[in-house]
Amino acid sequence: MKKKLTSVLAVSMAMSAFLAACGGGNDGKNAASPSASESASPSPSASESASPSPSESAAPKVEPFSMTVRHIQIGEPRKFRLAILNSVLDNVKKDVPEVSFELDGVEDSVNRFTKLPAEMAAGNPPKIFSLFAGAGDAQKYAKAGRLLDLTPIIDELGLKDKFLNVLDPWSVDGKVYGLPIGGNTEGVFYNKELFAKYNLEAPTTWDALIKAADTFKQNGIAPIAVGSKAGWVPNMFVNTLIGRIAGENANAGFITGETKWNSPDVVAAYQQYADFEKKGYFTKGELGKTYDDMLNDFIAGKAGMMFDGSWRNSAFTDQLDAAGKPAIGAKLAGKVSYIALAPVPNGKGDQTAMNANYAEGYGFSADLNDNEKAVVKSFVKNLFSDEMQLRGLLEDGVLPSMKLSDEALGKVTSPLLKEVLDALKNSSKTFPHFDQIVQSKVYSETETQLQKLIAGKATAQQVGDAIQKVQDAENAAAK
Amino acid sequence: MPATAKKVIPHLFMIAYVVVILVPFLFVLFSSFKLDNNEITQHPFAFPKHFSFDNYKETWVKAKISVYFFNSLYLAFSAAVVGVLLAAATAFAITRMKLEKSSQWIYQFVLIGMLIPGNVLFIAQYFLVRDLHILDTHWALFLPYTAGALPFSVLLLAAFMRAIPHELEEAGTVDGMGAIRMFTKIILPLSIPSLVTVFIINFLGNWNEYLLSNFFISKDSLRTLPTGMVGFRDAFQMNYALICTGIVFSVLPVLILYTFLQRQIIEGLTAGSVKG
Amino acid sequence: MKSTLRNPYVYLLFVLPTIILYCMFFIYPTITSFVYGFTNWDGLNHKAFIGLDNFVNAFKDAEFRSSIWNNLIILLFSSCIQVPLIVVFALLISSVKRFQGFYKTTVFMPSILSTSIIGILWGYIYNPDVGLLNSILKNFGVETIYWLAEPKLAMFSILVTNAWQWMGFYIVLILAAILAIPKDIDEAAMIDGATGVQRAWYLTVPLIKPIINVVIMLSIAGALRVVDIVLVMTGGGPAGSTDVMASYMVNKAIKFGDYGYGSALSIIIFAIALILTALYQLLIARRQERIEY
Repeated sequence: MKKKLTSVLAVSMAMSAFLAACGGGNDGKNAASPSASESASPSPSASESASPSPSESAAPKVEPFSMTVRHIQIGEPRKFRLAILNSVLDNVKKDVPEVSFELDGVEDSVNRFTKLPAEMAAGNPPKIFSLFAGAGDAQKYAKAGRLLDLTPIIDELGLKDKFLNVLDPWSVDGKVYGLPIGGNTEGVFYNKELFAKYNLEAPTTWDALIKAADTFKQNGIAPIAVGSKAGWVPNMFVNTLIGRIAGENANAGFITGETKWNSPDVVAAYQQYADFEKKGYFTKGELGKTYDDMLNDFIAGKAGMMFDGSWRNSAFTDQLDAAGKPAIGAKLAGKVSYIALAPVPNGKGDQTAMNANYAEGYGFSADLNDNEKAVVKSFVKNLFSDEMQLRGLLEDGVLPSMKLSDEALGKVTSPLLKEVLDALKNSSKTFPHFDQIVQSKVYSETETQLQKLIAGKATAQQVGDAIQKVQDAENAAAK
Repeated sequence: MPATAKKVIPHLFMIAYVVVILVPFLFVLFSSFKLDNNEITQHPFAFPKHFSFDNYKETWVKAKISVYFFNSLYLAFSAAVVGVLLAAATAFAITRMKLEKSSQWIYQFVLIGMLIPGNVLFIAQYFLVRDLHILDTHWALFLPYTAGALPFSVLLLAAFMRAIPHELEEAGTVDGMGAIRMFTKIILPLSIPSLVTVFIINFLGNWNEYLLSNFFISKDSLRTLPTGMVGFRDAFQMNYALICTGIVFSVLPVLILYTFLQRQIIEGLTAGSVKG
Repeated sequence: MKSTLRNPYVYLLFVLPTIILYCMFFIYPTITSFVYGFTNWDGLNHKAFIGLDNFVNAFKDAEFRSSIWNNLIILLFSSCIQVPLIVVFALLISSVKRFQGFYKTTVFMPSILSTSIIGILWGYIYNPDVGLLNSILKNFGVETIYWLAEPKLAMFSILVTNAWQWMGFYIVLILAAILAIPKDIDEAAMIDGATGVQRAWYLTVPLIKPIINVVIMLSIAGALRVVDIVLVMTGGGPAGSTDVMASYMVNKAIKFGDYGYGSALSIIIFAIALILTALYQLLIARRQERIEY
């Protein structure tokens, strides 16, 4: 026993020595150093640094400092957006040479539903972070005093009139607390090759859509790819169905009480979804499939259509990225089309309206010292420039959130991206996704209930009733 | 039944069991060398065609496994060592020192902790850690890991130390030893087997911990192996070969350690669970 | 001189660090859980005392009830299905001489691995398109099975993974007890002409009953502790069908920001754990006489 113990101890000693060595070489950050005692005591960046008197900090002697940037640009399909973020951060470093950035990439829904809410509750969000617009996110945090008021920075940089009319879901009482990197619409991607193979018409009418779906199904191809493991993915389609069937103004009325989730129209939209489900129009095993699986299935030709955000168009480009790698859906380049969802028979309201959102953007912690504010200012300046907006459009396929010149827009060569722009141009009206409108508890309930609907555990009426119950409670609490 | 058949039957069952345990690992190992999902689907059991270590290089860089690994290692190690030492000191005081009344009381008080299932205190600990301003630092894991192991460790070590004959420290007192030296020179060395047991249990518990690590740490550079790997899976869920490589990376060190220390680990964990 | 062992200051020196840490991370959180549990705190706004509302809502909450049910399923599966298998395999290993060490080492191995890594590994085994299981079944003409996406199958798939991870641990526990039985008892029975199965059932099993009880006890505690595997493999889905109490609590608190409600749920989990432990002690453990050998 004794002998063995000595060897255990010896091994562990060796390990800790090794560790100490590694920790030392770690950029001096507190990452892996066993002597964490100094670095980890009450986080130095947050509390101490906020206090020093404001005027001095502009003085030339600025100690190097580090800021955390929480972003959601991870994985293959978002690599273009990551590249833009990196370019922006490089430019910021030119403005503020003392700063270094610690990038913290997190999956979108993890950031939105897990990390940020917890950090906001704890009062320690990252300094710069990906933020979602609307009542459940940006506006909620702004009201709780967690977000930096960007109005002065926007005024100072003269950006005020450059944005399209997209800042409402980012504002509280006329002050802006976050900025959208761009926008998107949600519509139908379809595989032209498969449509041609089965002699199908483009799904621009409801009949064509249904016929295509039936044909695909008979041929063992999933009509519509979907990945419902995360509820927001099927919720995109539900949102547009509500817009088609209950009218494009319906979902703005959920928080005012004008629209009820269990009203016949909204229930009819859920029923439409349930019917598709029953007919087997969606990918099998969808509740276990992620958002990326959905794209994978579509690219692999396992599905003929996919209801998704227009941002996905950048997956189907044949251009190589900065690292010389092809896009994930490069083999479908030129073979994919994008259109608005076909008009639904007997639907209410404008049947050409399209869902458009300017909901993904960046927000900043309210708790910043002057050096950090300078970084934020430079970040805003560099991210919201004509150059980056155009890059976003051309490389990433994100619709600009700022006014771009016709000349700039003329640089769009990708046919798919042109279709995205055309789809928006051709729709007479736009309506937002309800995820920017309703309170976060209501939104979570829509995901929970939709998954129940998909699993066959609830009927459309039960879904509507359950969501309305939460909506009532939240509306009452807001008064 | 012929005698040979009698001998073979248990082996047949056991081999089936062993296959069920090992095949998932082999599958992952083979997949980790394959080019892409396509090659995996087409030949799931085929030996990889070529031993290219590209996946390994790519994963090592992309997944920051080295960072997660060392975070896990030093956190699990330091929390386990500190926990064992604190528990040993307490066990010494309540079993060997002559303040029986307080000892009884403290012993019972600490044992209450054994009744509380770990994850019940999760929310409250989250806010505690937040109020201490150590959220998103390694202290947020080190302290709960150390504290979490205390009730059990005190119980186990106290049971062991009670059994040490009292003549020993009587001899020590005659030699003029103080309590501290008695602890470090007599009791601690005698308790080494149980200290090792407690250390192994605590180390593995910390090494594998997921819940706190997932929610108390958000900086990538501070993540531990379990949470870092889940994050890696979420980011690269389309590339199963890479994910398998990640699994191999995170499982291999533990398995190597296990092959060398299997007796101690098995004895430690099983003894710990029975007495606890 | 003898007083060194009576010196209260020295005593405090030994005890205080433990007591402080213990109070900070056990006692204080227990108290605050109770306080939060009676509020509607969302983490951002001020908390308001709302009496028993959270607890009333919890029992009205169909999803929470189904998560209790899932814990119960795990509990029943592990104590009624796993434990008999564990005993059988332990007996099998004890009956062989060759490879005994190898079997023991191998079956024990999964229990030292991180549950989250095992969750990733099995998520891959269960993957409908490239996973091991469907690849095997495809050869028998079975159509794609969605192990983790089918609400009726997902819980079962998690149970299998959980069993895969933990059975070996208990097998080794029981094996140790079997091997500790003096050989002469067994040999005497063998001379009397008892078969291997008879000896196992009439001789060995009664002798190892105390340790079987321990295993059942640990399985019950383990069933209440299950959470990592659910969070990693399904996140409680599809449509809440694999949510257990702890995962539901964590999601409510963290994802929905319902810290008051989440705390109330944690108190309920605590209470259920206490009741089960007490019941088990009263009904089963007390009636057992310890068999000494």
